[in-house]
Amino acid sequence: MFDFQYAIEIFPTILSALRITISATIVGFILAFVLGLVLAMLSRTKVKTIATITNGVIKFIRNTPLLVQLYFIFYVFPSFGLTLSPFVAGVLGLGIHYSTYLSEVFRSGIDAVPVGQWEVGKALNFTQKQTWTRIILPQAVPPIVPVIGNYFITMFKETPLLSAITLVEILQQAKILGANSFSYVEPITIVGILFFVLSYPASLLIKQLENKLNKKYQV
Amino acid sequence: MTEPIVRYNQVSKYFGDLQVLNKIDFDIMPGEKVALIGPSGSGKTTFARLLMTLESLSSGTIQVDGQYLWHEEKDGKLVKASSKHLREVRQNIGMVFQHFHLFPHMTVLENVMEAQVTVKKTPEKEAEKISKDMLDKVGLLEKADVYPAQLSGGQKQRVAIARALVMKPKVMIFDEPTSALDPELVGEVLEIIKEIADEGEMAMLLITHEMDFALEVADRIAFFDGGKIVEQGSPEQMINNPETPRLNEFLSRFNATNSL
Repeated sequence: MFDFQYAIEIFPTILSALRITISATIVGFILAFVLGLVLAMLSRTKVKTIATITNGVIKFIRNTPLLVQLYFIFYVFPSFGLTLSPFVAGVLGLGIHYSTYLSEVFRSGIDAVPVGQWEVGKALNFTQKQTWTRIILPQAVPPIVPVIGNYFITMFKETPLLSAITLVEILQQAKILGANSFSYVEPITIVGILFFVLSYPASLLIKQLENKLNKKYQV
Repeated sequence: MTEPIVRYNQVSKYFGDLQVLNKIDFDIMPGEKVALIGPSGSGKTTFARLLMTLESLSSGTIQVDGQYLWHEEKDGKLVKASSKHLREVRQNIGMVFQHFHLFPHMTVLENVMEAQVTVKKTPEKEAEKISKDMLDKVGLLEKADVYPAQLSGGQKQRVAIARALVMKPKVMIFDEPTSALDPELVGEVLEIIKEIADEGEMAMLLITHEMDFALEVADRIAFFDGGKIVEQGSPEQMINNPETPRLNEFLSRFNATNSL
């Protein structure tokens, strides 16, 4: 059934692909974070057309599957003259897709800041930018850090989708090993365990962070 | 003759179809303390919020220290003010809010320092000194390092007053500064406002339901009703000889509640 000898033998090979999985998660997350914040701010502007277009884009991206978006970026973009490496295409797809979710999280954080904080920004003659950076975001972000952290873990667990566009992350590596040896049990099991071993402690860490923040902000 | 520091000219304000201010003309002289009284919904708060640029004008003009607030002159014509112009004129105005609106993520000292450093670009050391002096003045220097959540309502409002004062506006709006406070905390805030008023040089626009306080502090009282200033005059004249039946009615309601 489960060949431990073989599992130990292939483990280093799978582990070496973990570097790709983790860097795809981190770069994708940074992109999702920045783009999510921009989308959240755009969707709240007073310029109606910009807000409407932004909301339309968000709805469109959220209501189409990530896998289709990845295929589109990797296989369709080249016919428009834009050829991307699997890593870049994957990170772009992951980042853009999750930015629409993070934008919603940012928006809820921003909306939770009382209107009075915007008004006092005007009364003290802050510029729009200063109001955002000095008053609104410092209040909007800490309460949503746990939710953002959970999206980070979700994105990590979604990276195997990138194997569909030929990126050799851990699942793809496991499939290659399986195809060579005709034994899929060991490599796929290892992949599952690796994800669990990394995700679970991370989720505990976020839980702890959440408790800390709750304490700090409910004094 | 001195020029008014604030001049409202034919100012109207609509919220949708609802007219809340109806062609108001009003001048405030430099250093003058004006109390706005009137029933809720009479337009007095909107009147003040227009000056702080928290609401936009429907029609008319407001001038601050001779400059248009919501407009600027281009080729001899009045056009809508750019945000740069708006900010330039707005620095003359300060405001203290009913609900304080302190920055909850900053200490008391940081609250008072923030706008000086960020907006006025005052060097940090200098801003700290100014802020500490101001906190001392409102009696809260020993609270400099605590967060607003640990303060009482009265203390919060005193910090908010300090935060507005360090920006040195020429006109300060107090929007019902004691309405959100427990009764036993009202006194400490009114005392500070009185102290500031006695210093003289800053004009004050005071929206209040504390009639005794208005009498004591104001040079002039304006009575709002239905989006208009129905009557105005010196406090003595307003209280003792109200001319309009509406003011008479309003004041008698106050006396009735006060004598309870």
